[in-house]
Amino acid sequence: MLSHANRGRGMLAAATMSGKYGGRIWAFSVLLVILVLHTVAILLFTRGFLLTRTELPHYSQSSDVFQSPCIHPPSSSSAAQVEEQEQENPFHPRSNHSPNLNHTNPNLGYWTEPIVDRLVIIVLDALRFDFVAPSTFFEAKKPWMDRLTVLHELASRSGSSAKIFKAVADPPTTSLQRLKGLTTGGLPTFIDVGNSFGAPAIIEDNIVYQLVQNGKRVVMMGDDTWLQLFPHHFNSCYPFPSFNVKDLHTVDDGCIKHLLPSLYEEDWDVLIAHFLGVDHAGHVFGVDSTPMVEKLEQYNGILEKVVEVLESQSGPGGLHHNTLLLVMGDHGQTINGDHGGGNAEEVETSIFALSMKPPSSVPLELDTSSCQLDLDGRKMCISYIQQLDFAVTVSALLGLPFPFGRISLFAATLVCLTFFFSIGSVNPELYALAGETWNLESSNVGDFQNQSGLEKWMQNYVNVLCINSWQVKKYIDVYSASSVIGFSIEDLLHVSDVYAQAQENWSHTVKDVVLCKTESCHPSLAALQRQIDAYLNFLASVAELARSKWTEFNLKTMGIGFCMMLSSIIIQFLMMKRVDQLCAFYFPSQGNSMISFGTIFAHIAVLIRACSVLSNSYILEEGKVAIFLLATTGMLCLRYSIMTKKMLLEALALVLLIPILRLTIELGQLKQTVISVFLKIHPSWMQGIAEDSPVAMYIAAIAPMLALVLLAYILYQSIAHRSCQGIFKYVITGTVFSYALIALYWALESKLLSLPMVYEGIRKNVIPRIIYAVGFLQLSSLAAAQLFNGKKTSNWEENIVIKTVAMLSAWSSTVIILSGKQGALIAVASVIGGWCILRLKNLEHHAKNGNAGLSNFYSSPVAQWSLLAVCLFFCTGHWCAFDGLRYAAAFIGFDEFNLIRQAALLSIETFGFSHILPILGLPFLVACQYSCGQAENRKKLILMHLFIVYLIFGFIMATTVTFTILCVTIQRRHLMVWGLFAPKFVFDVVGLILTDTIICLASLYYFE
Amino acid sequence: MAAKKKKHTKALRKINGTVSSASASQLQAFMLHVICGLGLASAFWVAHNVYSISLISDPSQTLRLIWLVEALIVILFYSLFRQNPNECSYLKAVGRGLLGLPAGAVMNAFGAIVLGAPVHIHYFRKTLDWSLLMSVFTFVPAASIFGSSWIDWQRIFAHTKPIGCIDYMICLPAHGAVIGAWFGAWPMPLDWERPWQVFVLLPLNMICYM
Repeated sequence: MLSHANRGRGMLAAATMSGKYGGRIWAFSVLLVILVLHTVAILLFTRGFLLTRTELPHYSQSSDVFQSPCIHPPSSSSAAQVEEQEQENPFHPRSNHSPNLNHTNPNLGYWTEPIVDRLVIIVLDALRFDFVAPSTFFEAKKPWMDRLTVLHELASRSGSSAKIFKAVADPPTTSLQRLKGLTTGGLPTFIDVGNSFGAPAIIEDNIVYQLVQNGKRVVMMGDDTWLQLFPHHFNSCYPFPSFNVKDLHTVDDGCIKHLLPSLYEEDWDVLIAHFLGVDHAGHVFGVDSTPMVEKLEQYNGILEKVVEVLESQSGPGGLHHNTLLLVMGDHGQTINGDHGGGNAEEVETSIFALSMKPPSSVPLELDTSSCQLDLDGRKMCISYIQQLDFAVTVSALLGLPFPFGRISLFAATLVCLTFFFSIGSVNPELYALAGETWNLESSNVGDFQNQSGLEKWMQNYVNVLCINSWQVKKYIDVYSASSVIGFSIEDLLHVSDVYAQAQENWSHTVKDVVLCKTESCHPSLAALQRQIDAYLNFLASVAELARSKWTEFNLKTMGIGFCMMLSSIIIQFLMMKRVDQLCAFYFPSQGNSMISFGTIFAHIAVLIRACSVLSNSYILEEGKVAIFLLATTGMLCLRYSIMTKKMLLEALALVLLIPILRLTIELGQLKQTVISVFLKIHPSWMQGIAEDSPVAMYIAAIAPMLALVLLAYILYQSIAHRSCQGIFKYVITGTVFSYALIALYWALESKLLSLPMVYEGIRKNVIPRIIYAVGFLQLSSLAAAQLFNGKKTSNWEENIVIKTVAMLSAWSSTVIILSGKQGALIAVASVIGGWCILRLKNLEHHAKNGNAGLSNFYSSPVAQWSLLAVCLFFCTGHWCAFDGLRYAAAFIGFDEFNLIRQAALLSIETFGFSHILPILGLPFLVACQYSCGQAENRKKLILMHLFIVYLIFGFIMATTVTFTILCVTIQRRHLMVWGLFAPKFVFDVVGLILTDTIICLASLYYFE
Repeated sequence: MAAKKKKHTKALRKINGTVSSASASQLQAFMLHVICGLGLASAFWVAHNVYSISLISDPSQTLRLIWLVEALIVILFYSLFRQNPNECSYLKAVGRGLLGLPAGAVMNAFGAIVLGAPVHIHYFRKTLDWSLLMSVFTFVPAASIFGSSWIDWQRIFAHTKPIGCIDYMICLPAHGAVIGAWFGAWPMPLDWERPWQVFVLLPLNMICYM
């Protein structure tokens, strides 16, 4: 009864389909619908998930500070004066610098002038903490340590006002995000990563804006990202292009050229010099490399000169009498030179600060430094700072005239000042209103003076903290009022509580100060300390709250997107079943419909892979998990082949290929040539061969060439043995020609042939461009052939094989040259793997000799195919993070940056082996099928097989992505969400859209 | 063709022989498994209390102790159930088991490496000891009982069609150990950062064994 109904339904389906059964049109439209569905679902979900934090377009004004409870004019007259003053000149920035105003309100405070007048900020991109700190702070001394010796010398000099800080950045650790964070004192969120190619101007309140508003003159040189962030802010700037990672010197040389002369100039207050060499050296060569050490030594020389100039001018009345030098990194980098994530290596960078004046002491409670002896036996202390606090601190330094200034204050201030809504509130003008000249020298006279000095320092510090906390509170209030989904009410209540406590405490303290005006009754140190602690507590709790809940998620759109994803999976599944029915209707099969264990395991493997994205550790080890599953399917195949005594060779080859792939995954994460890495990892294995020995070099140079020759031979065989039509023959011959060019390119690149410099330019740019052009030509000629070739052949299998080979070969040359030398080896490995899979596919079929539906028949090989594709993604040295992108590949053949062109090259490189080639190669699985039926039927059969193979592949991809989406939804409050899950999500989603698109195009190309 | 047929008849005879020799071993098989289980437990006990080592602190040595004890028990007891006891002496069966131990270790190590065991000189001892232990559960019983009879091996390991009590005695622990090891490898990437994660496979082994 049931089967009858089924049969009836099948007939119905067949009838409805055969009505509009143009074959390819129908299949294409189904695939297109799936593509559109996926795109809409992902767009919706992404809109909900990757929302930026609401950027508040408010800028603080100088007058804001009067609303804070921190300014208590001791007498009404002074308050009136203040207001009057404000009315006179409310927004004119530099007016308050005039000295007569400094003395109008002698009672109000202690401050007269900024702690520092001029600021030199030298940003060294991707400065690891261990570049700066002495090697004694680490377990072992590495070649790149102790290179910036001038910093050690300055920091260890006794009585020196120089100090090294360990600065901890927040992920994402890409330069743009860090610059934003440094200047706004906020936490730029993940969506900005997408803007990294074209940096948008900052619309939030930021330090550069405030500096300019307050009449400071800012000079910038180096990385042009600054100019993109602050297009109109700098007095003068010398930007240099930053994106070409292969170029180690342009930016640095430009910086050096302008930096030293500028130090003698008077026309700036803040100088920013951003060096990029270390970052680029890391990206291209890794940290443990000669160029890196050379770069660091070059920087050491430059810093020496800078310090020399500053110190020579640091006398009273000198140009740099009151200058602060900051040498800092924006983020760290891993040993491979990558950054972007949240690893300790990536977020730990350093700030070195040098003031031209003697330091003062900090209360022990606020001191975070840890001390060790360095190599020369000098005592070195290193303090700790959150990068988040940088902006506020600098504003306080430039704006808040602290009596004790210098480094120690810096240390304490750095620790605590957190979010700022407006830097302007601590700007010099308004404080100058209330100023009384502080005698700078008095603090150094004696112990008693020091004691009182410390007390006053703390008092001022409390003042700053008060304003800071008030600002932060205001920021939080405005933020939760203006953004749709802000912080939760409990969190806000908690923060308000902490703030209220601190504020209450403060009013007591202030009352004490106001009540007793004599010198003797200052609030005690302990009370001040309590007050500082209260504010620090508040600021810390806000920082923690913001870190955990900064991003807003729009759960509704996320939910709709996820449901659409689910429905698309269901549609795909129903389609598979339908095609199954159709196939069974046209080609009724005999025999039992037993599902083999391999098929079951294929389902299990897909499910396991999909579920494993729910754990962050599985995402980290994704490549290895995929290899594990692939190996298990390989073992099952081996078992079958032993059982049936067939195709033992293929099964063994597959099983042996897998450990090699795994080795490449492990090696691939170190971006260097395979051989030298191998030597580094397994020194005990190959002690005979030194790293730079000619043997290793020859092997490294020749192995890829041999692989290319092998590939070319396979291509040649494929056209030699078949009756190949004209266009395909030319395409494949073109690829062989491209391979020869690639081999030439590599041969010229290696040091085996010494090459005159004249040819260098030709080698670098002309050869890759020819290869790209040939590839493009091949693709367009294939497309043209598809459009205009009406000729029907009778031999469908052969036709499909030739088409597939031509298509793959057209892509392969571009993908191989982009992937570098490993590309050729990986290509050979993938050919072997693919061949094994499609040979072994028939094994089960022969073993069972039954037909349990097409989708069951193909699920095992297609699952293997997709697992192999995933493995290839990891084998080519990628992983699902933005530091896993190989930016250098985008510049093969081109020197200058063009967004579309370079992005296209980068995506071909990233997804070439894992998506483009496997999907275009899928028809092999169908074409090498046993032949049956008459010619007319066979065409229909092949079309259906192709269709179902593509449906299964799309289904497997969509399942994984759906689980990724589910995972990021569940884990959206996870600590690693921006470091790990979100990049994984982006990679998967891009991969899925790409897969769908390629499947659509492939269906146009292959279906006839 | 004739040779094949001859082989086939020989195999048939062997199967008959097995069945006849194993007819009374329902209880014996159970006892054997109990003894093996006790051996495993005692090896753990000795490792823990006498040498005060455990899988986490000293994986290589503990594994060595366990496989030594188990190998002794397995070889000695399984050899009692050897095929064709008339043609094959007890000592010969023991010798076959001893030979099967390293051979099986090589196979297991190969499988482990394909599935992702680290290939490094540093891990060599651990991999070796682990594969010897696995060999004790998978290969040695079959080697002791069947010797070099390829058809029986194929029947047990490729087709998984055990006939009779002795076949089950070989088949169950072997497959249990392999499946247990596979599942044991499963939670390894989890970042609970517990050292025992690596050795989840052993308890699982034993569960499957039981």
